[in-house]
Amino acid sequence: MSDLSSILWLIPALPLAAAILITFLGPWLRERSHWLCILAALASCALSVVVLVDIAHDNPVIHTYYTWFKVATVDVGFTLRADALTAFMLVTVTFISSLIAIYASGYMHGDPGYARFFAEVSLFIFFMTGLVMADNFLLLYTFWEGVGLCSYLLIGFWFQKPAAAAAARKAFLVTRLGDIGLLIGILLIWVGFHADGDVTKSLFALDYQTVFEQARLQNNPGLLFVVCMFLFCGAVGKSAQFPLHVWLPDAMEGPTPVSALIHAATMVTAGVYLVARCTPLFVLAPEAQLVVACIGGFTALLAALIALTQNDLKRVLAYSTISQLGYMFLALGSATRTNIDLPDALVTVAVVAAMFHLFTHAFFKALLFLAAGSVMHSMGNVIDMRRFGGLRYALRTTHWTFLCGAGALAGVPLLAGFWSKDDILSATFGASRAGHPHSGIYLILLIVGLLTAGLTAFYTFRAYFMTFWGELRTPHEAGEHVHDSPWVMLVPLMILSVGALFAGYVNAEPLLPGWLAEYLERAPSLQPLAEHGEVLTAASRALVMSTSIALALGGVGLAWFLYVLRPGYSARIAAAVPRLYQLSLNKFYIDELYDFFIVQPLVGLAIFARIFDLNVVDGLVDLVGQIPRFLGILFRPIQNGLTQFYALAMALGLAVFLIALVWRLAW
Amino acid sequence: MNDPVLTLENYLAVGAILFVLGTIGFLARRNLIIMFLSAEMMLQGVAINLVAFARYRGNLQGQAFTLFIITVAACEAGIALALILMLYRKRKSLDVSLWQDLREAGQEPTLDEEPLELPPLESPLPTLTPSGLEPQQPRETSHV
Repeated sequence: MSDLSSILWLIPALPLAAAILITFLGPWLRERSHWLCILAALASCALSVVVLVDIAHDNPVIHTYYTWFKVATVDVGFTLRADALTAFMLVTVTFISSLIAIYASGYMHGDPGYARFFAEVSLFIFFMTGLVMADNFLLLYTFWEGVGLCSYLLIGFWFQKPAAAAAARKAFLVTRLGDIGLLIGILLIWVGFHADGDVTKSLFALDYQTVFEQARLQNNPGLLFVVCMFLFCGAVGKSAQFPLHVWLPDAMEGPTPVSALIHAATMVTAGVYLVARCTPLFVLAPEAQLVVACIGGFTALLAALIALTQNDLKRVLAYSTISQLGYMFLALGSATRTNIDLPDALVTVAVVAAMFHLFTHAFFKALLFLAAGSVMHSMGNVIDMRRFGGLRYALRTTHWTFLCGAGALAGVPLLAGFWSKDDILSATFGASRAGHPHSGIYLILLIVGLLTAGLTAFYTFRAYFMTFWGELRTPHEAGEHVHDSPWVMLVPLMILSVGALFAGYVNAEPLLPGWLAEYLERAPSLQPLAEHGEVLTAASRALVMSTSIALALGGVGLAWFLYVLRPGYSARIAAAVPRLYQLSLNKFYIDELYDFFIVQPLVGLAIFARIFDLNVVDGLVDLVGQIPRFLGILFRPIQNGLTQFYALAMALGLAVFLIALVWRLAW
Repeated sequence: MNDPVLTLENYLAVGAILFVLGTIGFLARRNLIIMFLSAEMMLQGVAINLVAFARYRGNLQGQAFTLFIITVAACEAGIALALILMLYRKRKSLDVSLWQDLREAGQEPTLDEEPLELPPLESPLPTLTPSGLEPQQPRETSHV
């Protein structure tokens, strides 16, 4: 135990050290900066694996390294924890980070901000691992803000580009809306779940264990619902769920490795992690879970519908990320119990499904983004799918790796995404059975989930066929000889495609034992909630599985038909339903709605405030300034520069003074 | 009044008269040198006061002060005359009212209603018809 706690702090500390070193040695390191970042990430990854293996036999390790602050009855320590959930997230985050850092050393080659890029990526890894390992809500919030900062810095990496600067600002402001909700949630937890129910008594560390225990003991449904909603608000912002999803597609202005690392594989899953971590709170508030599931399902469908018509390859992937995150929330929202006081196997199944999808999604989505980055690299930074095509012979390796990722995302049977998506649908199906609260709504959500699965398969392969099939077309920016990316970029792609193909087998339930489920069940926050047992019968599981296979293959087939066999058909379909097509192409006009209802009134307010400040406030200040000036005009004539006038004034003044003195002495 | 003894009051009266005369001179005259002399006169009025009190009290403190005043006045005279010389060189006049530059910005300068006539400039050359070589003019190499 003690030796584990002595290496635990190194996992975030190594990337932090790398970030600091690169910052200060950057001008000297230049194009060697990536070594520090990659080494730190790999070391963290190795340590995470040690933790993962060690935790399998042990209880969770919780260690307070020092007291962060202690005010009145709040005692917050810099406490790291390692349990099953943490270890699993750590391995995912650090492994993907290492691969992406290696890829980025090729992708960012020759960029003037090379050192800055790797300093910021290292800093991000520090914050992300810290976020996962934090043992109390305040520490979690600190790191939560930290990853937001890194996201801002990295989206705006090419800050000379106005679009990138605007996207960074938008991402920061929109996620901030969610963060405020999270902060309010944490404050409510402090007020509401204090031991003995009184904030003035006994120390309170805001750690997960105590909070969950108190929430269970007090069992105040109204407060729980409100707390869960505020926590979920933070998750909605960070994980880009409707209505705060608008920042993620714009975040694609950042360098592609950043899109892969932060906006697909790791940071955006922080919201999923938060809700999974707080499952003991959410199961006590079934209405909150319903909201989570509805938001998740709706976002999944909405983003999938938008992704159908986007022409920018990275934007298709961005909307698909939003859609897949919606899936994860759908699973987390399905972690309901038939009876609020009894353990239920569904809770574990649903949370495991969400974490499992997070894991596989990290692999295949990072892969897809990196492959898209490789395409972009070869096409001279052109990413519009209408301007290139038939790249499957020109970019051979990229093509194969992209195909692996697309297959996994579409849910092609036996690939990674298939298993996790199937788990999520099973969990939702489980929640829709009789006896669970709101089972009717969960049935609708199940149908939404299935529909989204079909749409996902279609838009993924639409992007694949548009990019890699048909006649070879390249934009003039690409130059004469189109060649594949360098090896330093292709090797991470290959490793990730192995992950996209086989990562699903950690929990391929009917085929292999569910190792992941067994492992995660040991997480202490899940233990008391679950009992062992099957959620679904083999028959209903087979039904879900066969439906999702049929939909996935149907989607792929439709994409094949529309974009390879009959390339003209898609345009004719778009022309047949122009309204719907425009709606999807313009992202349901959500950005425009926000612009009209929120941004423009605020801009108007800002203009009004400026006018008010310039005219009214400044006017008052100037008025006050005029008073001494006016008095000055009265007294100015006595300063006339005549020596004798001054002497006279002095003599008269002295005389008056003396007369007064004599007068007083005389009387 | 049949015994004309010089009392303290007599000395004080002389001192006061000197002081007031000096003051009036300082305020009324515009010639820098006259003003300076008036200021010296005021100092002497004060010095007489001090000497008189020293005699009256029978100690030497007042006389010591007076010695200081005379010393300081001597130094001051040196500096003041040098300054006056420099001022004269700038404007070719000793009129103090020519130096109004330290007035508040935007104020009109105070001008004489009836300005005095300036004396005619002397010709640098003798009035006699010159013959032969032009005599060597005194040429200053330094202002000090």
